Amino acid sequence: MTDTRSLINMSISEAAAALRRGETTSVALTEAILVRIKETEPTLQAYATLPLDRVLAAAERADRELEAGRDRGPLHGIPIGVKDNCYTKGILTEVGSKAMQGFVPDYDATVVRKLYAAGAILIGKTRCHEWSCGGSEPPTRTPWDLERFPGGSSIGSGVALTARSAYGAIGTDTGGSIRIPASINNLVGMKATYGRVSAYGVLPLAWSLDHVGPLTRTVRDNAFMLGAIAGHDPNDANSARVKVPDFAAGIDHGVRDTRIGIDRDYFMYPGVVDSVRAVTEAVIADLARLGADIIEVSLPELALTRETLITIRMVESASYHRHRIREKGHLYSPGTRATLQMGEVVLATQYVAALRARERFRSAMKHLFRREKLDALIAPTIPVPAPLLEDVWQPRDDMANGETPTAGFVHHVYPANLSGQPAISAPGGFTPEGLPVGYQLLGKPFDEATLYRIAYAYEQTSDWRRRQPPQVYE
Amino acid sequence: MRKPYQPPDSAISADQLARLAELLRLEISEDDLKALSDQLRVIDALEAAELRDMPPILKMDADWHD
Repeated sequence: MTDTRSLINMSISEAAAALRRGETTSVALTEAILVRIKETEPTLQAYATLPLDRVLAAAERADRELEAGRDRGPLHGIPIGVKDNCYTKGILTEVGSKAMQGFVPDYDATVVRKLYAAGAILIGKTRCHEWSCGGSEPPTRTPWDLERFPGGSSIGSGVALTARSAYGAIGTDTGGSIRIPASINNLVGMKATYGRVSAYGVLPLAWSLDHVGPLTRTVRDNAFMLGAIAGHDPNDANSARVKVPDFAAGIDHGVRDTRIGIDRDYFMYPGVVDSVRAVTEAVIADLARLGADIIEVSLPELALTRETLITIRMVESASYHRHRIREKGHLYSPGTRATLQMGEVVLATQYVAALRARERFRSAMKHLFRREKLDALIAPTIPVPAPLLEDVWQPRDDMANGETPTAGFVHHVYPANLSGQPAISAPGGFTPEGLPVGYQLLGKPFDEATLYRIAYAYEQTSDWRRRQPPQVYE
Repeated sequence: MRKPYQPPDSAISADQLARLAELLRLEISEDDLKALSDQLRVIDALEAAELRDMPPILKMDADWHD
């Protein structure tokens, strides 16, 4: 048997291989994660709920199945965290909100049902910002720096992975909430195409912008997780009837002749700090060295994304919350309540105008991909490394227009939510101070496999994924 | 003599939003309403200038290279 440290540092792929070689068991993997949770949770607080009464029984079942020759695939017997906005039958689901305190769903979200069907062990519910947007900050901290913003709103999913207290985690992304914690915590996060992963049973923030997706420590692991959770779901009217490929097949075919666009005017705007700019340029140079064609492109419609997305998000959030807020408004923090109510004063015509602006943007993005025969666009995931918690909502000293760090996040992550195209964030390097920096690839609808192939090719050239944060909690 | 028709300003000021918020009994700060008003002016301007032939559809094509 392998020791606990080695077990928790394995990727999903490595753990799955060790399970099949008989070198470990799901019970051993789960026990190792539970030990790690005990070590890290007092400081990091990645989890909202830990269903400890059921995880070892689930792991024993997974081991028995493997022994009996029933192999459910790469997630079989692997402990996975799930964001606390996903319904879990019999397990608390509180979405960071006092208004949901004590709520135990009587059914599983489709993403959870699919994880169970793939043999995964649901190790715990990961913390998220209040209602996945939040005007209040959860107590979760990133081990990369306890004083800095750990990412959000899938805050616990990112921290659990970087702390090695899960092998993979589910997040949701309405305006970057998978990719931002991925970038800040040196992880891979995939916001797949809108409709690729069912949102049934996931508490919404904005229906037409919400995406469910995986966070992992490696690109291949992410492809495995997406393969397990993707697919048409008749319970979700927005679920796409599109075949789910084997996302890991061909992942190692390289990037020769792959066409990757970069819009420097937009994605390398003055808000991108030097350390992030340097990392992104290094990733671009490495991809070119590996044989990718890097194409300079211009998409002026990117400038439409901020106001358009926020208008849509506000109105859809207000629609979902307006009755609940009137019943339980005192159980919302004031900032969250204002954020979720503001859409009530947007006129219907303005909401429709925003929907039309989204179509204008999506159409322009589509024509750019066609005209330039692009496979992907590349960009920094976010223009700054993790800011200090006290600075998150403060104007940046280095930006004349008073832009805050969060406004900078928005600049880079909103486009893919608005277009619905897939976007992945993967580790690109580190700042001189040792903070992770992610880069982002935006792809064609339902072509997540190409993004995995590009990200995998780059991943093999670096050891970023193996770097670990300071062990501040021991 | 009737006054010539004066079209209303399509943009909504922060003050008007504040009145609407008050009618709906919403607690939204002046700063937030000012930001919202600015945001909606951008959408209004965009609609007037560039969205005439753009219906609100979001269809995910799998064939961006056809």
